[in-house]
Amino acid sequence: MVEGPLPMNSSPINGLTPQGKRSLIEEELKASVAWLIRLRWLAGVGVILTAWSVNAILKLQLFTFPIYLIGAVILVYNSIFYYIDKKIQSNPAATQEYTRLAHWQVGLDWLAMILLIHFSGGVESPAILFFVFHIIIAAIFFTPRTAYIYSLVAILLVWLDVGLEFLGILPHYPVEGFLQEALYKNIWYVLAILLFFGATSLISAYLAISINQRLRRREEEVMELTVNLQRATERLQALNDGARAISSTLELSEVLNRLVKNTAEVMHVHACFIRLLDKTGQHLERVADFGLSQNFPDNGSIDVQNNPLIQEVLSGKIVNIPDTSQTSLLQYPATTIREGIHSMLVAPLIGKSGPLGILGVYSHNVNHFSKDDETFIAAIAAQGSTAIENALAYQAIEALDATKSQFVRMVTHELRSPVSVIKSLLRTITAGYAGGLNEQQRDILERASKRAEALQGLVDDLLDLAAGKADIKSHGEMEPIRLDDVIEQVVKRFEISAKEKEIDLIWENHISEITPMVKATQEGLDRIFNNLVSNAIKYTLPKGKVTVKLTRVENEACVTIEDTGIGISEEAQAQLFQEFYRAPNAKEMEKEGTGLGLVIVKDLVKRFGGKIGVKSTVGVGSEFTVILPLLLQ
Amino acid sequence: MNKKSILLVDDDPDVRLSLRLPLEAAGYEVKEATNPTEGLASMKKEKPDLLILDVMMDSATAGFQFALDLKSEDPKSELKAFKDIPIIMLTAIHDTTSLRFSPDQDYLPVEVFLEKPVEPDVLLATVKKQLGE
Repeated sequence: MVEGPLPMNSSPINGLTPQGKRSLIEEELKASVAWLIRLRWLAGVGVILTAWSVNAILKLQLFTFPIYLIGAVILVYNSIFYYIDKKIQSNPAATQEYTRLAHWQVGLDWLAMILLIHFSGGVESPAILFFVFHIIIAAIFFTPRTAYIYSLVAILLVWLDVGLEFLGILPHYPVEGFLQEALYKNIWYVLAILLFFGATSLISAYLAISINQRLRRREEEVMELTVNLQRATERLQALNDGARAISSTLELSEVLNRLVKNTAEVMHVHACFIRLLDKTGQHLERVADFGLSQNFPDNGSIDVQNNPLIQEVLSGKIVNIPDTSQTSLLQYPATTIREGIHSMLVAPLIGKSGPLGILGVYSHNVNHFSKDDETFIAAIAAQGSTAIENALAYQAIEALDATKSQFVRMVTHELRSPVSVIKSLLRTITAGYAGGLNEQQRDILERASKRAEALQGLVDDLLDLAAGKADIKSHGEMEPIRLDDVIEQVVKRFEISAKEKEIDLIWENHISEITPMVKATQEGLDRIFNNLVSNAIKYTLPKGKVTVKLTRVENEACVTIEDTGIGISEEAQAQLFQEFYRAPNAKEMEKEGTGLGLVIVKDLVKRFGGKIGVKSTVGVGSEFTVILPLLLQ
Repeated sequence: MNKKSILLVDDDPDVRLSLRLPLEAAGYEVKEATNPTEGLASMKKEKPDLLILDVMMDSATAGFQFALDLKSEDPKSELKAFKDIPIIMLTAIHDTTSLRFSPDQDYLPVEVFLEKPVEPDVLLATVKKQLGE
């Protein structure tokens, strides 16, 4: 069963560059040349040994000298080929030399072969079959055409030798004792052998060429698969890297910028852009691009209705425009071509609730994007959509939080002014600036004053909390601040109230090797320690002790505020940093208190990149620890 | 002895009342104005010895602007007659404006800031100090 030869002009391999294909054939040629040289050592030695054994063992009469000579010549020219092969091996661009070497080898082998046949009996020679091996080798080396030519040359050479011997023009060298009669003069025998030799040669050439072509084709397929696999791996890697880069931020503009940059890099194109739908869903805004020139005009918002390309993409299709000069889909074909954009691929960005926008890549080359690229950009777009949606959601939450905080601030401010005025007015009376009061009147007004004061404290705390959440700048810009100075000032501030309660207030600074600088706001830091130290004193019974300690743990400053106070139950500890929570024993001891102080403290500590924790035993005392990252030079 | 006069500029009548009572009780003559324009008119009629200025009036920065105008270094300023009047500026540190922090003295040349609500004792002590008493 013979399969037809595969077509010579097999389609160019996708993804395999012409260089890659050529180097594959070069490699094969090099390997074949070396392999043939190795074989030829055996052939040369084989010829000599066969001649000797025919004479010495089989006792047949063979015209030995020329055959020995042919064997020797084969070995000699093979040595030369060996030497040349070694020499040109070091030259990586020696394709031509290799082709020439192959032709020389086959040419000389042909000559040696025909001489061998001639001196071993011509048409009677059993060596005549060996030519088939040569033909197979030629099929491996050369293009089918060349291989067929070599086959025909082999056939012609044999026919010529046999014909000339038949006609008596060339001498006949029979192997004495091998055949009973001289067959070379038998016209039917000669014709039969020549016909069969010719047919065998051609069929062998055909089979060898077909098999070789199929093998080469397979090899190319494997190569193609390898290249594709490699590319797929690269792309997966890129996709993975991209996903990580994109999802590592929730800032929308950052997400978009990373997405366009990654996409352009991964797809090896010069530019990439993203347009997102505005709130109406009728316009696409240009939100991010990468690789476009300064001259590329910003067409501003694009009306979806006027743009057939975008309509198609938004309907969920990936649009591949192989040649921008040959399409009617573009809204601004002139500027596109002026920018050097000759092909483009545009994919929809689709979120959970519908289309978000489009992601596109531009190439300088016509027909740049393949089916593979379409699949790939779809994967990127899917990934990007998720990231964009997350960022949008985050943005919405942030905006909502800011609005809420703004609202709280407005309301609270509206509360604060009247409370503040009430307090002032009451104070003018209780201080006696509006005339005398009897004891009961004064008592009542003082109570009212106290409640107003408590209310003001609550409003102030609420404002702080809302202000902090709404906008960090309202607490001032963060700057490097000496932590020990801040703590010292706070401790000094409480010296008098501690003394009044006969509480031992101790301040220990254990950082001496460096100046403990932290990035924070002065007011924020003050607020943190003011609150913690004031709590410690407030909830410590007279004759107790409050120790404020600053230590360094690696790159962090650690401030502990330890007291011998009433302590906090485990249950209360769990809720300590929740808004409006006050521990029952604290409430019992101090009626006043908003339950917002520690929330604000925690908020501030977090904002300064730190952590806060508490350890406490009821009746023994509490220890609050604030850890802040140190600024180290 | 002539009574020292103090001009109160604040848009909130209750605030003015709460400030006026202790000041009058301490023997000062207190005039009131609800905004810088009124305040300036009053000053032109009779130059006060001290100005107590609220930070927030018609607009969020009206008080600041008024103080800046009064303390202008420009020799051609029409307000140069009032340049030497000490100013106590009332602030509400928890206000919503970005000006909730007292600006530097370089930026705003007022003599002192007081945070609302102002304790009468603190108010009187500050006033006394500014008047050099």
